[in-house]
Amino acid sequence: MPNPYLPLSVKVERISIENDARDLKTFDLAFGDAGARKSFHFTPGQFGFLSILGVGEAPFGIASAPSEETIKYTVKRVGTFTTALHELEPGASIGMRGPWGNSYPFELMKGKDIVIVSGGFSFTTLRSTIVYLLDPSRRSQFGKLTVVYGARSAGELLYKDEIKAWESSPDLSLRLCVDRLDGAPWPETEGLVPNVLKQVAPSAANAVALVCGPPVMIRFTHPVLELLGFKPENVFLSLENRMKCGIGKCGHCNVGPKYVCKDGPVFSYKELLRLPTEY
Amino acid sequence: MSSSLRIAKPDLDQLVSALTSRYRLFGPVDVDGSTVLREVKSADELALGAALDGSVKAAFFPQTETLLTYDGTVSEAPSGRDKPTAVIGARPCDARSLLLLDKVFGTGKYWDPLWQRRHDDSLVIGLGCSAPLETCFCNLMGSGPFDAEGSDIMLTDIGDAFVAESCTDKGERFLKTAYKSQVQRPSQADLDKAGEARSKALASLAPAANYSGVKTALAKLWDSALWDEIALGCLSCGACAYLCPTCHCFDVQDETAPGTQQGRRVRIWDTCQSALFTKEASGHNPRPSAKDRIRQRVMHKFSYFVDNYGEAACVGCGRCIRLCPVDFDVRVVLERVIAEGRRTKDKERGTKKDVRHAG
Repeated sequence: MPNPYLPLSVKVERISIENDARDLKTFDLAFGDAGARKSFHFTPGQFGFLSILGVGEAPFGIASAPSEETIKYTVKRVGTFTTALHELEPGASIGMRGPWGNSYPFELMKGKDIVIVSGGFSFTTLRSTIVYLLDPSRRSQFGKLTVVYGARSAGELLYKDEIKAWESSPDLSLRLCVDRLDGAPWPETEGLVPNVLKQVAPSAANAVALVCGPPVMIRFTHPVLELLGFKPENVFLSLENRMKCGIGKCGHCNVGPKYVCKDGPVFSYKELLRLPTEY
Repeated sequence: MSSSLRIAKPDLDQLVSALTSRYRLFGPVDVDGSTVLREVKSADELALGAALDGSVKAAFFPQTETLLTYDGTVSEAPSGRDKPTAVIGARPCDARSLLLLDKVFGTGKYWDPLWQRRHDDSLVIGLGCSAPLETCFCNLMGSGPFDAEGSDIMLTDIGDAFVAESCTDKGERFLKTAYKSQVQRPSQADLDKAGEARSKALASLAPAANYSGVKTALAKLWDSALWDEIALGCLSCGACAYLCPTCHCFDVQDETAPGTQQGRRVRIWDTCQSALFTKEASGHNPRPSAKDRIRQRVMHKFSYFVDNYGEAACVGCGRCIRLCPVDFDVRVVLERVIAEGRRTKDKERGTKKDVRHAG
């Protein structure tokens, strides 16, 4: 088994600014050789560590789907590492370790309707999930796909071209919303994610919900899902604790007896209700 | 399997030479008034009578360890391993701690190659405790002052000599090769002395309190005011974690030589008592208070580790009591937990209805 602390070498192929605040960038990473890409197997919901020599490492959810050639990460500039990452130019060489963690529960989701609820820049691993589910070879294995995705304003929504295309796709039902319309022509719905979810009112019958968002969105989304009839065992969330190793050794990311890195990052709401709220 | 021999104290160097010829040997050494674990070359350096202040984990999981080096590109850190590792003078509590650490580093889907390369083929020579300290409580954590668990060979001090007994095949093989011809077998008097040392040590330990109810009690005490009180007696300095033979948490940092691109990525012992341990880049901290952090320490050792690995992450070495700057005593904490648990009705841990924060 290869040394899990050694990052794989990857090249930053493309950097895209995602939002009006310009503090969210998407990094498309490519492996030097095709073999390395082929052996990097991951499932949506997993994460990797990005590494810049002399700066350090930090974990991020993988935003691309396994079928895509590049490995995509969308990163907000908040601290030392993310600032260094944002300062890179295309062509830079960085490191990547992973993929670590579990994934969204695709086996359990088979044959079921899927409801995806997301706010702000947490949409990354859910983008990966949507692309994965929409794959023509896979789409028929899952039921109806409903997505509610919102941000403060239109300029803060991620992957704008792609989600615009999804709005008219027959393969999913996507409702985009913003906290305030402020005159922008798109999207059309004003409202907070939990309220819009309530209007969209997807059926909980034979359905699974995947929820990612800021704490305040999560807090108000649970009562709506409960009202719609979603049981805690059918609601899944992804946690983001501070971590150093990604493989359950360094001890940083535990929530009770579970390690977010190796037992998560995806947990059912039912599991979370039994754990301390240390996340 | 087990064979025993007598090693007169002046002849200890023969054992040490046999060890250093095959192993990178670590043992207790006096440095500035403390007894710490160091690499040793000869028997004169050893301070076998004293209580070891730092634990033996450092021989296998050093405080600072290079994960990789870089100079524009990454190189795997050289293993630095020309010989396997051996420890002489590991107290039974410390020897046992290595088995617990091996559960963390040596098992699971991802094993730790740095631990593995030091721990594989290692040899542990235990030293029974003839005079346990007032802070020792190995007997309350399921072992004892002459417990052989984790040792390949066990030494018993009988005054002018040690009785050495093999506890594993590996230990047996080593003794046979190290003492090919000039084996001195212990006399009946020697064996009697060793037996006496053992029973005296056992008798000197505090009578066995029963900690078996700790985990059940902890499950009821997540929201207890007990943690506020316990936190008042702790400085959050984290000394206990650095001294603890079973604490395994680490940080990862890059160290670059000024003005160059040359450096190394290291892992360094870390402590969950530091506020930074869980603080995220956003400023959010899942364990913002000293109370949260001391609860984490107790829960991890006596509940979570039991969930994950079947036993507590404590061997009763007592360093965290003996060397705490403010006399924090984990035995008192465990007794209070048990008492408080008895007074508290069953309640599921962390039954919060509010999931605060998820990515």
